[in-house]
Amino acid sequence: MSAQVAATAGATRPPLDVAAAPWRRVSPYTVGGTALLALVLPLLLVRLNIGTYLITLLILFFVQAVVAQSWNLIMGYGGIYSFAQVALFAVGGWTSGVLVHSLGWNPFFAILFSPLVAVVAALGIGLPTLRLRGVYVVLLTLAFHELARVFTVTGPRFISGGGYGLVTVQTFQFGDAIGDQRTIYLYYVAALMFAIATFVIWRVIHSPLGVAMTALRDSETYAVSRGINQFRVRIVVFAISAFFTGLAGGYSTHYNGGISTTIFDFPRIIDLLAMIVIGGWGTFGGPILGAGIVIGLDQYLVALGDYQTLILGLALAGIAVFAPQGLWPLIRRLYENYLAPEPLKPAVEVSPAAPHDTTEEL
Amino acid sequence: MLEVKGLVAGYGGGEVLHGIDLAVDEGEGVVVLGPNGHGKTTLLRAITGLLPPRAGHVLLDGKEITRWRADAIAAAGLVHIPQGDLLFPEMTVTENLLMGAYHRPTWSERRARLGRVYELFPWLEERGGQLSRTLSGGERRMLALGRGLMSKARLLLIDEPSLGLAPLTTQQIYASIQKVKDGGMSLLIADENANHVAGLADRVYLLETGSLVREGPAGELLRDKALLESYLG
Amino acid sequence: MSTQLVQAVWGGILFGSVYGLMALGLTLVWGAVRLLNLAHGAIFVVGSYIAYFVVSRLNLPILVALPIGVLGAAAFAYLMHLIFIRPVIGKPGFDNSTLIATVGISIAVSAAAILIFNPEYKVIPPVIGGNFTVSNVQITKQGLLVIASSLALFGLVYLFLTYTRLGMAIRAVSQQQEAASLMSIPVVRTYGMVIAISGALAGLAGVLLSPFFFLNPNSGFNPMIQALIVTIFGGLGSVRGALVAGFVLGIFESFVEVYYGVAWAQPGVFLLIILMLILRPNGLFGIGEVRRL
Repeated sequence: MSAQVAATAGATRPPLDVAAAPWRRVSPYTVGGTALLALVLPLLLVRLNIGTYLITLLILFFVQAVVAQSWNLIMGYGGIYSFAQVALFAVGGWTSGVLVHSLGWNPFFAILFSPLVAVVAALGIGLPTLRLRGVYVVLLTLAFHELARVFTVTGPRFISGGGYGLVTVQTFQFGDAIGDQRTIYLYYVAALMFAIATFVIWRVIHSPLGVAMTALRDSETYAVSRGINQFRVRIVVFAISAFFTGLAGGYSTHYNGGISTTIFDFPRIIDLLAMIVIGGWGTFGGPILGAGIVIGLDQYLVALGDYQTLILGLALAGIAVFAPQGLWPLIRRLYENYLAPEPLKPAVEVSPAAPHDTTEEL
Repeated sequence: MLEVKGLVAGYGGGEVLHGIDLAVDEGEGVVVLGPNGHGKTTLLRAITGLLPPRAGHVLLDGKEITRWRADAIAAAGLVHIPQGDLLFPEMTVTENLLMGAYHRPTWSERRARLGRVYELFPWLEERGGQLSRTLSGGERRMLALGRGLMSKARLLLIDEPSLGLAPLTTQQIYASIQKVKDGGMSLLIADENANHVAGLADRVYLLETGSLVREGPAGELLRDKALLESYLG
Repeated sequence: MSTQLVQAVWGGILFGSVYGLMALGLTLVWGAVRLLNLAHGAIFVVGSYIAYFVVSRLNLPILVALPIGVLGAAAFAYLMHLIFIRPVIGKPGFDNSTLIATVGISIAVSAAAILIFNPEYKVIPPVIGGNFTVSNVQITKQGLLVIASSLALFGLVYLFLTYTRLGMAIRAVSQQQEAASLMSIPVVRTYGMVIAISGALAGLAGVLLSPFFFLNPNSGFNPMIQALIVTIFGGLGSVRGALVAGFVLGIFESFVEVYYGVAWAQPGVFLLIILMLILRPNGLFGIGEVRRL
């Protein structure tokens, strides 16, 4: 890694090829336009009858999309099959919850510790497992999930709150803003968090680190023989992922005014997994798209109760087997065919689950 | 018995075999000679179903078996002894041999066959309980050969019998193959050394960059040193 | 002997044998098919609910329900293989696809169980009732049955893999798949067979274990996690490892529980497994990549 860093920091850098620097292709107008839209949107929505409801949906979307993106970063891109995502979210949530609830800190200050503690927890899981094969990561992270659940139910009272979690944690306060005004502020905080997380994850994917990670996923032996330190790459990516997951957990606690032990329920993992799988496993936009779809569908399907879970489970299995790339490649193709300024030759993103022929690389 | 017509095969974007026509008759020993990397292994893999061919036909006794699964082709009597032996590393020598006879339904039949193979390679009986991953290169090759003979093979396809072996072992291997042939087995051998196969071959094909460039009786082709020189180097 | 000690040993052996039984199915499938079956707990639940249905709705004795539950679980596992596993066998995305698919199946099963029955806890009667006491500890006859059948099944599976044509074929497929197909072994059908056998083992564990705690749509999850830990501990793909590790972990957990309290049982096991992974990354009997089954 250090050699790579030295090379990129060299005084005379050759001009970057577009394929190697995809961020060059995004015009400032697109970014500016999206940002402006995000800023103005709540001010417009709030005038509608169901505007507040829509804004809270967007907040939910921002939080879930951050978690789904972080998960996709390690699962889809990194090939690290971690099921500790919800547990790390909970670690973030409880950290800031306990700091506020027991020590009386300001939520805006306490939330800064959520990602840090989540990273520490991630290192605790990662150090013993990430040297090993993927299947160990599955087992140990599942075990960690279960351990975290049991701990929050039966642990000390300032954590378990008597078995239900922290039910009354102080929420974010913005001066004396109340009602719609406060919701809009909450929206801005969530949007900012989403924007930062999305930008960093996008940047990581297109950095030397991201390339190393994808190389490891696609051909471990080859990547390692090219001098990539597998363990270091994985642990760094795992920590980055945990950072944003923990942050989202902290936000969620102070948004909801508490964190309950029910977040460990299995359907929560399934919801997140569905976002990644439906949207597109191992693609940048997939989890964002997926979060939008799953949250949107939830609003309609919630009346179906357990039928919804049944359908979701079967859909998940079906998509994973029969359409492993999810919906993102479809959207991308539409974009490239009709909207992109100049057509791109090959699709850059290949999902690891995609049935691409390995012999192609021969 | 075996007939291959216009076989095209390859990996990913690359085409390795460009239309192969080849035939093996009952009891015949056919050798495909060609340098490394010109498609010998690919040819055998495409015939026995390990690599689905892109075009062309493989016929066994006039019956189309082109897109059959590898295990069905093996059950039909085309038994492929692959490059690198591919033994079952954590099974004993005897167990490896018995797996060769998977297609034989009864134990008595399998045991009888085991006796026949032990006659050919008495050495295998002594080492019966040893795990195959602990064998030496020559021993592995013999076990792979013996395992192939356990089956109801009508035609053995052997990929580079001498690959990676010491000269003395190489001699033994070809001597064993000779014995198998004398027993009436049809053979299709892929090799890169004309001297090794001189005794086994009835007919020879020369394979160059994925195409068969010459075909002829072994006696004629293998004596033409100049020709072999120019193809095999 | 003190009551505590007897309690710890009895609980350890009982749960160890069940963990071993669950782990045996997982380890077989991993060893042969390279499939990490996260629906194993769901198959456990399927077997249990079928047995429950036969007992409570059809009013048949548990001895009839037991084989029906086991066969039902095997059939369910085979169906899962046909629909969700077979299409991706040999494709590059196999790990990802099957991992997600099995998670999806397990959630679908628990939702289906709620819909068909209801989320309330169910009771399955023991196959043999009655108990006796040793140093104030109740030893149930069902518990002895569980231990005995677990040990017997390990023996049977071992004999099956070592001496039968099909069992040897399973080992052959797991060690060198391409050569196995050249030996006319139908690889994909063998995979299906292994998955069905593993399903039968999970179903049996479900029916036998359910009398100890109540049956609910998620009751397979915890035994599965324990079985996963046992599988790592014993070495992935190792039958012997599953047996030994099942008892080691069961007894360890039981001792921690009896002497330090229930709250410490799971953290204790967790720490033990992390320690294990640091000291012996391939588990007790796993020897890296090559050695399987």
